[in-house]
Amino acid sequence: MKPFVNEPHAELRRAAVRESLLAALRGLEATLPWSVPLWIGDERRSGDDLLSSDPGNPERLVARCARATPQDVPAAVEVAQAGAREWGTRPAPDRGAALTGAANVMRRRRHELAALQVRECAKPWAEADADVCEAIDFLEYYAHQAIELEQGKSLVQAPGERNTMRYRPRGVCAVISPWNFPLAIPTGMVAGALAGGNAVILKPAEQSPASGLACVEALREGGVPPAAVQLLPGEGDVGAALVQDRGVATIAFTGSRPVGLEIVVTAARTPAGQRHVKRVVSEMGGKNCVIVDSDADLDDAVPAIVTSAFTYGGQKCSAAARVLVHDAIADELIKRMRGAVDLLQVGQADDFATQVPPLIERAAQERVLDYQERAEHEGRLLRQPGPVSSPGWFVPPALAVDLPRASSVLGDEIFGPLLAVERVAGVAEACDVVDGLDYALTGGLFSRNPETVDYVVSRTPVGNLYVNRQITGAMVGRQPFGGNRLSGTGFKAGGPDYVLQFTDPQVVTEDTVRHGLVV
Amino acid sequence: MTAALEGEILRIGRELADSFPSMARHPVKALDDKAMELASRDAELRAALFRFVDVVPACRSLEDLARHLSAFLREVDERPPSLDAAIRMADSKAGARALGLAATAGVRHMAHRFIVGETPHDALRLLADLWQRGVATSVDLLGEATITVEEADRYADRCRAALVALHEESAGWPQRPALESDSVGAIPRANLSVKVSALTPLLRPEAPEVGKRDAAVRLRGLMQLARDLGAHLHVDMETLDSREIVLGLVLELLAEDEFAQGPSAGLVVQAYLRDSSETVEQMLDWTREHTRAQPLVVRLVKGAYWDQEIIEARRHGWPAPVFEEKAQSDRNFEALTGRLLEARPLVRVAVASHNLRSVAHAIACNRALGTSDGDFELQVLRGLGDDLQHALARQGLRVRTYCPVGDLVAGMAYLVRRLLENTSNESFLAARMHDASVEELLAAP
Repeated sequence: MKPFVNEPHAELRRAAVRESLLAALRGLEATLPWSVPLWIGDERRSGDDLLSSDPGNPERLVARCARATPQDVPAAVEVAQAGAREWGTRPAPDRGAALTGAANVMRRRRHELAALQVRECAKPWAEADADVCEAIDFLEYYAHQAIELEQGKSLVQAPGERNTMRYRPRGVCAVISPWNFPLAIPTGMVAGALAGGNAVILKPAEQSPASGLACVEALREGGVPPAAVQLLPGEGDVGAALVQDRGVATIAFTGSRPVGLEIVVTAARTPAGQRHVKRVVSEMGGKNCVIVDSDADLDDAVPAIVTSAFTYGGQKCSAAARVLVHDAIADELIKRMRGAVDLLQVGQADDFATQVPPLIERAAQERVLDYQERAEHEGRLLRQPGPVSSPGWFVPPALAVDLPRASSVLGDEIFGPLLAVERVAGVAEACDVVDGLDYALTGGLFSRNPETVDYVVSRTPVGNLYVNRQITGAMVGRQPFGGNRLSGTGFKAGGPDYVLQFTDPQVVTEDTVRHGLVV
Repeated sequence: MTAALEGEILRIGRELADSFPSMARHPVKALDDKAMELASRDAELRAALFRFVDVVPACRSLEDLARHLSAFLREVDERPPSLDAAIRMADSKAGARALGLAATAGVRHMAHRFIVGETPHDALRLLADLWQRGVATSVDLLGEATITVEEADRYADRCRAALVALHEESAGWPQRPALESDSVGAIPRANLSVKVSALTPLLRPEAPEVGKRDAAVRLRGLMQLARDLGAHLHVDMETLDSREIVLGLVLELLAEDEFAQGPSAGLVVQAYLRDSSETVEQMLDWTREHTRAQPLVVRLVKGAYWDQEIIEARRHGWPAPVFEEKAQSDRNFEALTGRLLEARPLVRVAVASHNLRSVAHAIACNRALGTSDGDFELQVLRGLGDDLQHALARQGLRVRTYCPVGDLVAGMAYLVRRLLENTSNESFLAARMHDASVEELLAAP
């Protein structure tokens, strides 16, 4: 197998590349709306109980989708259990070949799948393209990990004793994925489980079922058997039924904290007839802070922070939510940030210029506007002037300053284009603030003093700290990604330990002594 | 390449080299070169030095400066004793202040080698002095990055003020026919280089139209002013991310009727770009289709963003847009020199290099075409090409020195880039310091 290399992002600075993406969008539009079925084994059941629409134009239908109910779950689990028995006995290179095959399918459909996200999730081009690349990366990276894991780990060997350690699949894995990385995150979780030899039932977010379908299509076309990867589109009740099902061994979830913690509680129960303790791999968001020390280069810091906070309207769990800036440069930073926020291009996702697209749905728009109102009431809101665009669930980007430390704007995950800027007396105080949060996903630091960098590294609880750069855009294999504290339970996605979570270790010790001789 | 031309290149190159002043006559400069040499030999020390130079303007006090310096130096594994002493100094308050003062003085001294003054007004005496000595100039206003509308407006205002100041001041300069005319006609004395990235906060490679539209408003104003004052406006090229925008912006504006009679304006071709010959052809095609009173000035450079282009491409897994070997850029530079010189009078040509070989090649190439020395221009950077500039002036060639103006904060990115260039192992200047023979320096790339 060739060494892992990240799939190169589209070189959008070249006009020809941009044109080919627009052509792919026109091509996709001719195929909309997609029909997204329940897809259990070889059986497809279509329906139009769920409708997926363009957040930038709610009239435009992207997919008609069948809705699974809790009653569909047992059948899917049963098929998956059979699938797991077969798939789990395949050697890792075979599993790896199927995952790589899926990567090639996505590579072939790259522009189409990016265009799908532009329409289904209003994800701007650069982000949509990066999402598809990340999905490809997950498939290929975990294919490598599967092969490496099959070598086992070396143990201490005593004379006349042969000790081996290997990793067995756990069985059926339920994957419950979000809409904000509509292809990358489901593909990553599914590929991790498949690489470990498990069968998977994917329940994609109800906002992005078409991208979920694309994930399963690619895997099956790549060579994963139908029983080993199934699609169960639906709503929260289906997710809950999967979590409760006795046949499910592992649950991989990425989404909100309340749902993630609920999964942890439910999965801890071991009803009669269940012969294992469920394992939960849960990524649950963040309230990510960027510390800016007085020696920061604002020429770099301001654009990087604006990108971190507002790209894709801040709808990323890694996005910057709070800036903790040294008093000495706070005025200058706020002035320049404000100027930069005023210039953010708000618009439809299919325009290459757009940085802040419409939010995913009406509820998101209402929630973020509500937080902006709170910020205005409790402190000062510096909102980009001008009328709010429509149609689409637009929210103008804004900075919130002068908020009291107790403000809910500073504690809750808002998931929208609202960034709070707070003054601190120094880096130590900023670290205290970060340490006071129950989230610990990503963090940022702008400082040019190596000693300050060491100090913040030693104090920060976050899973991913970025120094002197934007805090979003983790790359598979380069920035394994995941949070600590109440941000997550798992080992890092796109990292060397991820596939381990979908396996049970097993040690075999064989006595090789016969009649006093080692034979 | 004929043997005759090669011989001519050697002859011209030797002549130029012979007229370089000896280091001994410039004690301060020799000191600078010593520091540069130290930095170019030890990668860690170089990193420490550059990181320190970079952070100087952001330091709040002498103690703060000393803290940064000692933190950078601690990261150098094998420290000369003098650096250990510096680190120890930072431990006491008095020592830290003394270290901070000394280090600031050092950085300011280095900065002054490359940056001619804080404002155009401060620089005027030096510009006049250079003119006296047969050297023309182009002023470049250094500034912080343009992130907001206010910052773009402020840069445009500074450009306007600079154009006016240069125009007024240069009116009183003595006649220097070699510097102010060629066979096409008059060449403006006042010459300003501007950067599109400073003229708009909306420069984004994936959405060129937005930045182009926004920059056009401010660039149009500058072009009108330059036209009315009879000054030259040169639009610099930066990274590949903005090339499409810069080219489109300038050529579209210059094609408008209101600019048919002026100003004299120019663009840049970067020979390290693999597709730079296509850019040259694009410019030449444009000049064939658009008749303007003053020919477009094309400044040919190797390109100053090589590391950035390589890092950007490797990080993204893209093919490198630049040649990866210096000799390839050097060969392309010579090919483009020939192409541009042949294309006159469609364009005016400015060959900008500190590489003795490239410069000698351009001069020889021009003479081989039978054109007068006055029908092309050589350009150097302040601080890097000081010796060369005087050697060229003494030969009666038209040389223009690119003179950055700005304060230390604003000049830092520029300064660090120039220092890196000066200490890179492949640098021509580094080779000169290490006593490479003139023949080696003049060998065909």
